[in-house]
This record gives sequence, structure tokens and C-alpha cells, in this order.
Amino acid sequence: MIANLGNFSLWLALFFAALQFGVSYRKNNKSTLYLNKISVYSLLLFTLLSFLSLMYCYIVSDFSVSNVYLNSHTTKPLVYKISAVWGNHEGSMLLWILVLSIFNYFIFKLYNKNNIILITKTLETQAFVTIGFLLFTVLTSNPFEKIIPTPTNGLGFNPVLQDPALAIHPPLLYIGYVGFSAAFSFSISAMSVGNIEKVPWYNYMKPFVLAAWTFLTIGIAFGSIWAYYELGWGGWWFWDPVENASFMPWLLGTALVHSLVTVEKKKVLQKWVLLLAILAFLLSVIGTFLVRSGILTSVHTFALDPTRGIYILIFIAILGGYSLLIFAKNSKKFFDKNYISFMSREGSILVNNILMIVVCASVFLGTIYPLIIEALSNNKISVGEPYYNSTVIPIIIPAILIMGIVPLISWQKTSLITILKKTFPSIMLTFAITVTILWIYRSQSVLGFIGIILSGWIISNIVFTLFEQSKIKYGKNKFIKNSVPKFTKSMILAHIGVALLILGITGSSVWQKEKITRMKINDETIIHNYKVIFKEIKEVVGKNYVAIQGNFWIYNEKNNIITKLKPENRFYPITNNSTSEASIHTNILRDLYIVLGNGNEQDGWIVRVYYNPLVVWIWIGAFVIFLGGIFSINSNLKIVKRLSL
Amino acid sequence: MKRKILILPIILFFTLLIVFFYLLVIDRNPSELPSVLINKEVPSFQAKSLMTKKTFISEKEFNGEIILVNFFATWCAPCLQEHQYLKKLSNQRGLKIIGINYKDDPTTALAWLKKLGNPYADVIADKKGHIGIDWGVYGLPETFIIDSKGVIKYRLIGPITKKTYKAFYSKVMEIENL
Repeated sequence: MIANLGNFSLWLALFFAALQFGVSYRKNNKSTLYLNKISVYSLLLFTLLSFLSLMYCYIVSDFSVSNVYLNSHTTKPLVYKISAVWGNHEGSMLLWILVLSIFNYFIFKLYNKNNIILITKTLETQAFVTIGFLLFTVLTSNPFEKIIPTPTNGLGFNPVLQDPALAIHPPLLYIGYVGFSAAFSFSISAMSVGNIEKVPWYNYMKPFVLAAWTFLTIGIAFGSIWAYYELGWGGWWFWDPVENASFMPWLLGTALVHSLVTVEKKKVLQKWVLLLAILAFLLSVIGTFLVRSGILTSVHTFALDPTRGIYILIFIAILGGYSLLIFAKNSKKFFDKNYISFMSREGSILVNNILMIVVCASVFLGTIYPLIIEALSNNKISVGEPYYNSTVIPIIIPAILIMGIVPLISWQKTSLITILKKTFPSIMLTFAITVTILWIYRSQSVLGFIGIILSGWIISNIVFTLFEQSKIKYGKNKFIKNSVPKFTKSMILAHIGVALLILGITGSSVWQKEKITRMKINDETIIHNYKVIFKEIKEVVGKNYVAIQGNFWIYNEKNNIITKLKPENRFYPITNNSTSEASIHTNILRDLYIVLGNGNEQDGWIVRVYYNPLVVWIWIGAFVIFLGGIFSINSNLKIVKRLSL
Repeated sequence: MKRKILILPIILFFTLLIVFFYLLVIDRNPSELPSVLINKEVPSFQAKSLMTKKTFISEKEFNGEIILVNFFATWCAPCLQEHQYLKKLSNQRGLKIIGINYKDDPTTALAWLKKLGNPYADVIADKKGHIGIDWGVYGLPETFIIDSKGVIKYRLIGPITKKTYKAFYSKVMEIENL
């Protein structure tokens, strides 16, 4: 019953999306606005209704719905019944559409008397995108399909996916991907209406780009947290195709956020921004397509149905073909009014933009290279960590060095000597930070050295500029105010977040220690100054699993007990598979990470112990970036509001 | 010159799409992984047969004819879908299939086979999954084609389905005719 309602709502949503698409700009603004209002609100209402219906089916375990039968089970905790809604291909498409119509609503909210043509055209494009995904869902991946006869219980779902970080990871990521659809629509709209209205399209685009980028950041972080805590491999990033699929739009988003600022301030790089906005969204969809269609195998491969792949591919071809054609035809109208000097803030942002694109291109190449090789020669190869480390790191290093300086350079042309003078104190501070940290970790690794310098460099530059700023704010001499660049709270937060992120990445990848050993009860092992004693092993029973749980006592150098770690080996009888739950002790300097492997009383158990320095700073860093993003969305929305006056 | 650059994105885009399209339409199975065991002899093992309750010694069994080795379990949903195609292979095509009952309960497995029909010439219990490890199995079902000399020729990860049945059978024929 409820499932039928959900299905019906989905069709109604399709109808209203089509209506919204039909209401393109007419001379009569009033009717356009009115019809758009009806379609935007109805679209939102019916997608929400459809989504909630599916959620209801999951909550009450309605196994007459095939999707619920395949992905849920009565013994599953409620939270994971709910998150199972988007833990499968069909349900996640529904979530994708819901997020699309939420963004659609926010675009609609931007209407004011000056921008009617721009927003109408944007809504039209947005409606087209929504129709594409709605058709895809109802025709090839309908989540409300029935199964006859009704099974008595579901097939459960992957216990590895029963994790709080993973429950919120997809929604956050989708806000990111779908947010770029708004940037895409604005870009197409700006190019097709040209500069008729003289409205600052970039100001309207910016909050959406920021939202997409901010949520993509935190979404990727949650995925990473899940991999770290749940997979039990001791790492948090594996260059899996699906990770790359989210990382690539993130890189383009980073470039886009920054180049939008230069468009806003200096009216340069307009074409570039228009193109980036298109590419960021196309890459989001292509990435999803690659991992979903089964072209690339990964942990996220849901569906191996080629008709779906062909449908999505045709849709991408239309989206990409249309948008890039408009770009080729119309973007020349957006000529830059100023020249760019390399020694200026806009110049440095451009350089960094290019570096981001290069990183993105090499990640893209690494991801699809196996496919291209296969298409050409029928050989299977795989591209792994060594490739990414040797292509991404060397490009990221100069990008971060520049990132440290950019805030200090003013928008106009600056001389090299001024820059050197300004950065001298921060060079000193960076040096001090680097020496201190290297002394703590006693490392001679070159990469560790570089990582710390980069991180220290960003922080020192921010510290000194803040210092300069406060001197002016509270000092007497107000005349030199303009020579010190203004910092926004959001920029400071985001950049500090990146510094912390680099610190965490460096620590955990360069100084990680790993020990794999077989241990019996009362055996002990040493990892980096810590003594690990295997005290006991026992059985524990969870809601839908049974587990054996080890108890490890950890002592420090002075033989004081620090913590007791209890990694588990869980067995889920419903799906007959087992997972290992790592047990982790975290402080600001390091993580101790224990995974219990297979074994028995006589021979002992295989135990993997990791010493992971500074991991927690990766999550803190990502969260600080997220905060910066949120502040920035807020302040940019204020700017947009002012435009309507 | 400058204007021509603006066409570049769309050209690159469509080149890429053509590659993707080609990969989608060609008959390809992305989960078909090269096995290290291909062209090697069957890993030797001894285990209890579920049917005869005797010990199954691999060295004695794999020679003289083409044999399929199928890893399955009653708890594996795709195995159930695959089952009818295995029956087709054994009843209509007369192929010898040896089933390896992976991490499963023997009584449930026997009841399952009784209900659905038994395509297997013999079923071996691999209760702890040790045989599976030797064969490099990582997901159920998996099917191996062994030639008449006891050499592994092909590995299929995932079920034989309506779609892949024909291709799989022609693979068997191809190996038989070598």
C-alpha cells in the first residue's frame, strides 16, 4: 500500500519536473513565476513523500517490496534499517533525486526582480537533470518493485555497512555531488542568457558550489573514517576507484571555489569558472556511473545491469554534449576585463587552479587507465598506490606552498621582495615548528619532513597575518590598512583545516608502524614503546551477531597501564559472513589500533597491531574545513540577499 | 586560435564516452579476474564426500574428462539462482560437476540438494573453508573448468546466469576441443 504510494509519488514528481522544464522564460513573468512555484514545491513534496514511503517500508520490514527483501532483515537495528534505504542502488537513486529537488527549491528561493531570466533558465536546466535521474529510476531501478510471494524474512545486508559513519556518509556525499548540479545549471544558464540582465551569476552560483564542496569534504571524511574503523586494514585511504570518484570532483570544487572569488573580485577567469562548474558536475556523474555500472569493480558496485549503464551513459552524453557545446559557442562572450599578473593573488590562485586540475587529471588517468588498456589490448592491469603517490604528491607540494602565501599577497601586482619580506617571519616559525615535531617523532624521512614544513607553513602564514591585522585594527595608524589583505573567518578556518589534514596525513602515512604476529593468552608484543599483553578472549553476543572478543592491555614505557583494547571478530549468522572490529585508542599524538584475526586456543590468534601517529588530526582537519565552508556559505548567502535589494 | 581551444573540452569528452560505451557493449565481465591457478594443476586436497561419506582424494579424481568444480553454499542467494543452470549443464550436456560445499552445514546442504535436485557428481564438504583458500575463492559461487589432464583452464566468479550460460558453455566446449 505505502509502496504503491511511493511509486505513484515518484511518477507525480516526474510530471512536475517535466512541468518545470516546460516553463521556460516567457514574456509574462508572473505566470512563469507562478508555474515554477507550483512545480518546485510539488516536486519537493512528492520526492520527499516517495523517499519517506520507502523508508517506511524498511522500518516495518515490508518484504513484499523486493528492494527491502534484498537489503534488510527483521533483526537489524532500527538505525541501520533506515540507512539501508540508501545502502543499495535503487534507494540511493531516490536519495539522489530528493537532494536534487531540495537544491532545486533553494535555487527557486533566489528569485528576485533582477534575475528572473537567469533563475528561470537555471531551474529549467535543473529540471532537465532531475527528469533524467527520475526516468532512470522509474525505468531501470525502481525501488518499489514487488516480489511475489512475499518472503518471510529479508536477506539482510552487508554487516560491514552497519556502521554509523557509513550511515551518514552517502547523504553527505550526495549533497556534494548534487550541489554541483546547481553550479552546472547556473553555468549553462549564464552562458545561454549571456549578459542580458547584467546580474552577477557568479554570486548566485557561489553558495551552491560552497555547499557542494563543504559537504563533499565531510562526506569523504566520513567514508574515510568508516574505512579506518570498519575495514580493519589500519589505513584510511586506498585509492579505490570509488574514493577517486569522490576525490576528483572535490579537487575541481576546490579550484572552482577559489576561482569564483577571483571572478567576484577582479572579473577575471570567467570562462574558466564556467567550464569548471560544468566539469565538476559531469565528473560527479561519470564517477558514480563508473563505479555503479560495474565498469570498474569496487566495494560500491551495486548493479551489474548493462542497460542501466547504457542509459546513464546516454544521459551523460546529452548533459555533457549540450553543456560543452554551449561552452564552445557562448563562453567567448565572457571575456576578461583585466589582465592577470603572476605576482598577485589572482595569479597565484590561477596557478593553484592549474595544479589542482593536473592532480585531478592524473587521478582520472589512474582510475580509467586500466579500462583504456583493456579496451585496446584486452589485458587486465591495476593501478595502485605507488602510481598515485608518485604523481599526486609532487604536484600537491608546490600547490600547498603557494596556498600558504596567497593570503599574504594582495589582489594587485606585488613585487617579489615585498612577498619575501612579508613571509620572512612565517619562514622562521615554520622552521621552529618543523624542528619541534621532527624532534618529537625522531624521524629522518624526507616525506615526513616535507609534510611538516607544508603544514607549518600554512599555519605560520595565517598566524602572522592575523597578527598584522590585529595590529592595524587596534593600533593608531589606520592608513596602511589596505596593504594588509583582509581575511575572512571561513578562509582562515578552511586553510587551518588543510594544515591539520596534512599533519595527520603525513604522520599516519610516514611514521606508521605495523606488527602482525600470532599471540596466545598472556603473550606480549612491543610496538613503538608500548607493550601489548593479550589477557583473555571471550564470546559476546550482539543484536544480530555473535563475536569473540580479545582483551589486550597496553602499557607504556614506565609500565603504567594506558588502556585495554577489545577488538572483535564478529560473525553474522544471517548472511553467514564475519567482520573484524578494530579496537582503537586515540590521543592527539597517535592511535593504537588492534585487529583480531583468525586463530584458536592452541596455536594462538593472529593479531595485527598498528601505531598510527596523528591520525585524529585528519578528522579534525576535515571538520575544521567543513566549519570554514559552513561559515562561508552563510556569508555568501548574505551577499546574495543584498543583491535582491 | 583562442576560440578553437574552447572546442577542446567537448572533443575530449566524447572521445572518453566512446571508450566507456565500447566497454559497456562488448561482452565483458569486470569481475572476471585472472586466477593465478590458470594453467596449473588442481590444488590437491582430501576431504569427506557428502554423498558417499568416503574420503575424496583430488589426485585420483581429476583426469580423463573435463570437470567443473563449483563452490556453493545454501546460505548464498546467487547460488540458488545458479542452481538450475548447473542442472542444465549436468543433465542436458552431461558434464561432470563436483560441488564444494563451502562453510556450510552438511545436513542443510543435503536437504537443499534433495529439494532442488542434485546436479553434482559428488559433493565435498569444506566446512572450514580451507579448500576455498587453496583455490583462491573469495566470493560464492565460483566455478572452475578443469581439463582432462587435471589442469585448471578457466575461473568464473559469480553465478552462471541466463545471460552468461551460453558463453560459459561455449568456454567449456572450447577447452574440451583443445
